[in-house]
Parts: sequence; C-alpha cells; structure tokens
Amino acid sequence: MNDNKLLFNNAALEELSLNIGKLLNDDGSKLKLTPENADSGLAKLVLTLVELIRKLVEKQAMRRVDGGSLSDDEIERLGETLMKLEMKMEELKKYFNLTDRDLNINLGPLGNLM
Amino acid sequence: MEKMIYATLSSNKNIDEINGLLSSIKGISGADLYSVKLDEISAVVCDINKIEVVADKENAIEYAEVIENIWNQFTLIPMRFGSILDSKDAISNMLSKNYSEFKDNLLKVENKCEFGLKVFCDSEKIIAELKENSNNEIGLTPSIENENTNSVFRNYIDKKLKEHRFEEFLLSLVDTVINEITKQLENLNAINKFKKMSSATNIVDAYILIEKENKNELLKMVKHFQNQYPSLNFILTGPWPPYNFVEINIK
Amino acid sequence: MPNNVIDQSKDITILEVLDRVLNKGVILTGDIVISVADIDLVYLGVKLMLSSVETMEKLKSGQSLTENYPNN
Repeated sequence: MNDNKLLFNNAALEELSLNIGKLLNDDGSKLKLTPENADSGLAKLVLTLVELIRKLVEKQAMRRVDGGSLSDDEIERLGETLMKLEMKMEELKKYFNLTDRDLNINLGPLGNLM
Repeated sequence: MEKMIYATLSSNKNIDEINGLLSSIKGISGADLYSVKLDEISAVVCDINKIEVVADKENAIEYAEVIENIWNQFTLIPMRFGSILDSKDAISNMLSKNYSEFKDNLLKVENKCEFGLKVFCDSEKIIAELKENSNNEIGLTPSIENENTNSVFRNYIDKKLKEHRFEEFLLSLVDTVINEITKQLENLNAINKFKKMSSATNIVDAYILIEKENKNELLKMVKHFQNQYPSLNFILTGPWPPYNFVEINIK
Repeated sequence: MPNNVIDQSKDITILEVLDRVLNKGVILTGDIVISVADIDLVYLGVKLMLSSVETMEKLKSGQSLTENYPNN
C-alpha cells in the first residue's frame, strides 16, 4: 500500500495496532470438532456454555446487589457462592487446558459469543 | 482460463470506452483488466489460472489496490478477495440474475466513499479519571462498605460490583458517544453502521458513507470528539471503496 | 514523524485493508462444492465460497485459493 489511509489518530499506535491485529486474527476462538479432538472440543463447547451462564448469573447477582435489596447476610452468601463458582471454573479450565480466549465461540458473521 | 472479478461498476459508457479506461490499470500480477458488460453494469475482471493464484497476504493487498485504482475512475461495488468464475458466460449470468440488486447498491454508493471510525478505550485511564472525580458519580467505591470489610466474600462482591459498575458506565458512555456521533453525522448526510464493544478495548466500530467532498468535515468532527473525550482514542481511516455498504446476496 | 510511527500507521492501514478485502464485499457463491470435512460447523448456514476464517487460514499457510474445491 503506497497510500496511508490513517487520517486521524491520537494514541499510542503500538497498542492500537496490537488491538486491531487481535480483532482481525481472532481465529483461535473457532469451535472445531474433529474425530481427533472430540474430547477437548466437546469440553470447550460445554465449558463455553457453562462460562456464559456463570457470567450471566454473576451479572444478574451484581444488579441485585447494586439495587440494594439484599441483606448483609444474603450478600455474604452470594459472595461465597460466586467465588466458589469462579474457582471451580478455573479448576476446570486448567484440567482441560483451556484459556479464557478458548472459551469463546466465533459465530462468524455474528461475531463472538462473548 | 478462469476470471477473477474485482468489482461491479455502473457506467453508461460503451464497453470500448470502459475497457479504454481500464487499460491503464493492471490486475493481479500484471494481468490485463477488461469488463464484462450487461446493460448499465459491468464486472471488471482479468484472466487467471486459478491453480496458480495463491491466497496470501500480498495477493489480498494487491487485489484491494486494484479495486482502489478502478474506484478512482468509476462508482463500484467491491467483490471479496477470491471471487473467481469459470467463464464470461458465468459472469454475465451472475450479473443478469442479480441485476437489480447491483443497480440499487451502486446507486446508493454513487459519488460516496467509506470511512472507518474506531474508538478505543483505555480502561485504566478512565478508572483513574473517575477516581479523581470527587463526587464519584458511578460509585466505584462501593456503597455497601461496612465494618465487615475483613470478610473475604464481602470483598469479593465489592470487587465484582466495581467491575459491574464500570461495565455499566462504559456501556452508557458508548451509547452517549454513538448518539453524539450520529447527531453530528446527520449534517453530513451520512449513512452509518455502528458496532458496539467489539472487544474489551474497541468500544465503537463505525463505518460511515459520505460524499467525497465531506472528508474534511468528518475529520474536523473526529478531532472535536477526541478533544471532548480525552480518555478515548479515536482512529479515522479512509477514504475506502464502499466495502461495508454492500447488501447483495448473490443468487 | 519518526519512522516507527510511519510503519505502525502503515500497519493499521494494511490491517484495515485486509479486514475489508477478506471479510467484506460481495461474496460469490458460484457452483462450487465446498468439501465438507474441512468446513466450520458455524459457517454451514452461510453460503460462502471463501469464509473469512478459511481465507485467513490459507493466508497463513499460503495455499492455493481453490484447492479445496476439487470438482472444478
């Protein structure tokens, strides 16, 4: 490209090209099921859905906490539960050798699941 | 020989005139460009041997450059890299089956060009700014703080609550920014497409279709937004051929 | 402008070009049969000659554009 199409930019370019690079090359997130990787492929699929639901639960819980309708005791118990859920999730990811980046599915034209 | 298709254009010039204009532009690896015409629309193609075409980065960039060179002379709709058909007949057939869609799309992008506007945010910078802000509107310091702060679970909730509030804040910021941009763009008679939160840092991804001569107005607008939101990073690229304003499902 | 800034802004331009030319623009479906074993499940519903994902993969390995379509 002889042309430089960057008309305006104010920021640290290094960080930005890194970001854009990630946006364009984000194909580590595809769900590939083949006979060879059926185990880890299935684990990835299941854990992705579990993580999606865990995040939704967490989000909803935070809305309730933020709304101020929960008692101290309830908040305490909620904290314990959510923390344990997150720890369990970490364990499972470790067990199946998956990273946060893996726990996303690229839905093609629809973008990423999370 | 297969034909690689670069773009579809509209022109009321006759085929010899179009081919004359195309003769100054070369296709991938120097191949000659010519047009396959059907009434008022033409596909710009070159002959290739498709087994020899390698789908690498260099060829993709070269393909884009060819489209851009054609775009300097004609109103066009870009084809995606890798668009190959077997024969002139196949191309004519494709043009005729999708004639009205091509015409409509070409009319929409006539004399216009596309700009890309990406807005990135540096979360840490924003959080730092919010903390400096004494009245602390969004409550990054949790309101549920009490004597119990030594409880692990309570601290965990506090941490999550901060994240939650920051996310909500970011979402409302994104909506505000998009609203303001949209309002400003109305003056430029623009067609826009917005995507929110493409990633944690890329909070707005916008494509803007405007008249070529409005480029400086757009640039001025983006500079204005950058001044207004110093914690966000605005990136404007263009002018581009109207890649993001193609709405054709080939039959 | 210092050189590295010029290089980086060129990088951004190239990334933006690739995003457009690989992911946007009119998609031809043609009469091409895509070999099933190689295709992403998620893309099955979309009649693409070349999905962006496939293209990206080929960009990395430098394969021929059409070698997955043996019927031609």
